[in-house]
Amino acid sequence: MLGDLGTAGLAVGLACATLTALLWLRVALFGAAVRTARRGTAATLAAAALACGLLETALLRHDFSVRFVAENGGRDVPLYYTLTSLWSALDGSLLLWLLVLGGYAALLARRAYPPRLHAYAMVVVSVVMVFFFALSTFAANPFRAVSPVPVDGPGPNPLLQQHPAMGVHPPLLYAGYLGLVVPFAFALAAPLAGRDGPGWARLARPWALVAWAALTGGVGMGAWWSYAVLGWGGYWAWDPVENASLLPWLTATAFLHTTLVRGRAAWHGALACASFLLVLLGTFLTRSGAVASVHAFTDSPLGPMLLGFVLLAVVVSAVVTGRRAPEPARPGRPRALSRATVVLVHGVLLVTIAAVVLIGTILPLLTTPLTGTRSTVGPAYYQRTAVPLAVVVLLVMGVTPALRVRDRSAALRRLVVPAAAGLGTVALVGLLSRPGPAALTAFGAAGFVLTGLAGDLAHRLRRPGPHRRPGRLAGLVAHAGLALVAVGVAGSSAYGRDAERTLRVGETLRVGDVAVRLVGVDRTGGSGSMAVQARLALTASGRAARTITPALRYHAARDTAVTVPAIGTGPLRDTYVTLLAVSEDSGTASVRLAVNPLVGLIWAGGALTAVSGLLAAAATARPRTRPAARVDRPRPAPVAAGPGAAT
Amino acid sequence: MRWRRVLVALALVTLAAAAGAALARSAGDPGRQDPARAVSAGLRCPACQGESVADSRSPIAAAMRQVVADQLAQGRDGTEVRRWFVQRYGADVLTDPPATGVRLLLWGVPVLTLLAGGYAALRTLRPGAARTGSAAPWTPDARRAWRVASVGVVALVASVAIVADRLDPPARPAPADPVAVALQLAHDLETQDRYDAAAQMYQEALRDRPDDAVRLRLAFALLRAGDGAAAQRTARDVLAREPESPDGLLVLGLAQRNSRSVEAGDTLRHFLAVAPAHPAAAEIRRLLAAGREPTGR
Repeated sequence: MLGDLGTAGLAVGLACATLTALLWLRVALFGAAVRTARRGTAATLAAAALACGLLETALLRHDFSVRFVAENGGRDVPLYYTLTSLWSALDGSLLLWLLVLGGYAALLARRAYPPRLHAYAMVVVSVVMVFFFALSTFAANPFRAVSPVPVDGPGPNPLLQQHPAMGVHPPLLYAGYLGLVVPFAFALAAPLAGRDGPGWARLARPWALVAWAALTGGVGMGAWWSYAVLGWGGYWAWDPVENASLLPWLTATAFLHTTLVRGRAAWHGALACASFLLVLLGTFLTRSGAVASVHAFTDSPLGPMLLGFVLLAVVVSAVVTGRRAPEPARPGRPRALSRATVVLVHGVLLVTIAAVVLIGTILPLLTTPLTGTRSTVGPAYYQRTAVPLAVVVLLVMGVTPALRVRDRSAALRRLVVPAAAGLGTVALVGLLSRPGPAALTAFGAAGFVLTGLAGDLAHRLRRPGPHRRPGRLAGLVAHAGLALVAVGVAGSSAYGRDAERTLRVGETLRVGDVAVRLVGVDRTGGSGSMAVQARLALTASGRAARTITPALRYHAARDTAVTVPAIGTGPLRDTYVTLLAVSEDSGTASVRLAVNPLVGLIWAGGALTAVSGLLAAAATARPRTRPAARVDRPRPAPVAAGPGAAT
Repeated sequence: MRWRRVLVALALVTLAAAAGAALARSAGDPGRQDPARAVSAGLRCPACQGESVADSRSPIAAAMRQVVADQLAQGRDGTEVRRWFVQRYGADVLTDPPATGVRLLLWGVPVLTLLAGGYAALRTLRPGAARTGSAAPWTPDARRAWRVASVGVVALVASVAIVADRLDPPARPAPADPVAVALQLAHDLETQDRYDAAAQMYQEALRDRPDDAVRLRLAFALLRAGDGAAAQRTARDVLAREPESPDGLLVLGLAQRNSRSVEAGDTLRHFLAVAPAHPAAAEIRRLLAAGREPTGR
């Protein structure tokens, strides 16, 4: 019953999406009324919301006649993880994808932009919507019936029932990915929109900022989830799934920077297109089983269709934005230490990092047909390529405080103290410890950046003016956040220590001044899952012992064991204890103890960076002090208050 | 004013020198990582996805770690151990194989991107030149555009519908054949006279590929490890399916002989009847003729 309703809902949604795309096309080509097209967009969103709601209802009611529920639901799954299991597998997560995409489409439809630019942008967004609705309806319909109806299901992948971040991380990531469709749509719409075209980048920037903030939060949260759940103690493995989220982040970051400078239309278009094309490519990589990954939770037959759509999008973008009109030359030499130059240098570096990550991720796909063997690319490659480039980007970031100063020698003077601080950091840290050249350079670069930012902030706060507004400080906050992330990454990889051993009860495992003593092993058998936990007494630097309990959980329904690490978070370091195995008689336990310094800085810096994006977006949403150039356009129609009219 | 500048420059140069010394000191440090872990981290676990031997929990990785530790204990250095693995399992066993052939793309693509990006940036910044700007505007004929685009949108939906109908779920390509690696490892362990560990590896391989040839290798390993009872069980298991299996008869006979079983003679004679040209036949004839108790080794 629910299944039939859901299938019907998807079919209606597909019809609505197709009709909406055609309606917007009529608006763009013949100047038809916007109102009907807006209603179509709202109806499409409503259909996506209905499909999500129906599948959620089926999950909550344990309606195992619905295929997705039979494969991912379970009577023993806690309520929260039943709710989040909507996006624990491909078919359901496509519905969330549609909901988020529909939300962006509805928001974009309600805004008042130059009419033809707006209409063409809506055509692009609607066509993307059509494709994913078609995918969901024909190839990945979660509502298909199952017979015979099972009495219980296996529940979602056990790894996805371990951490409350499961409720936030995927939606946030989708909000980031799909928000990038708006700059992409504007970039494609601009050449088609005639007089309305120029200036699109300024309109797309707030959307890109929101998407970028969500993507930053999503990537950061994914790293945190990986650290807290997967139990291997790391947060980034250069895994295809992780790389797929990093790629659009890199190009979107470059886009946000180039849009700060006027007259870089070619760069704006290329970067805006690249960002969303990389989102589509990442979707193909991670949703098709094309590349082996530690945590690709899906394996589906969608690969060829996704790849086809990626290629179609690439061709359309190239054809539409490929022809360039010459711009009048500008007089004057650009200064080396000017915003225009530094932004471009930084953009080129980010795009190069993106190229490194992209080729590293897709090489296994290329080698299979060419050589017959599956070649893999390990973390070592990225450490030799992407990491040094990232350190260079950090150094370029440190130059920013000098950019707002007109006079060259004054600008250089601004950099003296930060440079001294950076070099001093390298000297001091390098003479007290041996973190290795890459980490040491990262520390120095972070010192350079943070000192420069502090000086810049002091300068700004001294003089009243618009440069003290929170929105203007967003860039500072973002740079500070990223410098903290760099310190955290460099510190945890350079100073992290670990040891593993099989302990008898009463024995102790030491790493530096941290020690764990095995007190006992408890076994608890639940329905459908068994757990073994080790009780360990943790002592750090002579303080009183605390009891920690890392565990191993076995999920019978999926025949998998999950390690649940015990993480002791401190101000400067984490102690990370994993239970690897327990002997039959519970007399011994194999334990891994790791001390991870400065990991907290990664999460704090990531959060700060994500918040900075929202700060900047909020600032652009405020009315400008200068009235924007008036565009001749009919009065925007009153917004249709459909069910999808989000406020 | 000038002396201030000189002082600032001096301070910076001093700091730079100190930083350079610190970097040199850090670069000269081979790292406090233990060498076995460093080697294992550079080897790919064949039975898992994207994990190194150092991080993986699979039995194969454990055996590979053991091999690494043994070889290091024999006084080989990390490079030699790595080379040994490459010779046996091919360059793909390394997490970071050398850049040859297709792998040159790993360096070529980023370098080309950097060059192209740099060139584009220079062109953008070059003063006085006519620069490429925004995309050239399109002026499509509205009616024709409408026909083409509307047909295109409907075709998109139709093509997804048609393709979706014909697709089967993909077969998962294994990253490498874990069974082959397990067998190779077991063989290596046998050459090092570590028959217990070899038997474990064979059992691991059997779990993925229940194959009688592997079962016989397992039986041999068990026999040499001194577990005659298990060797007999395994050999009988094979003989139940294939009563004339020469290797099965050979292992069974030798195991029975070790356990002083009276059936040993019959089994070994049966073996000779089935496979008179077997490499071990001459040895067995000698044993039977001498009537000595073979040690099974």
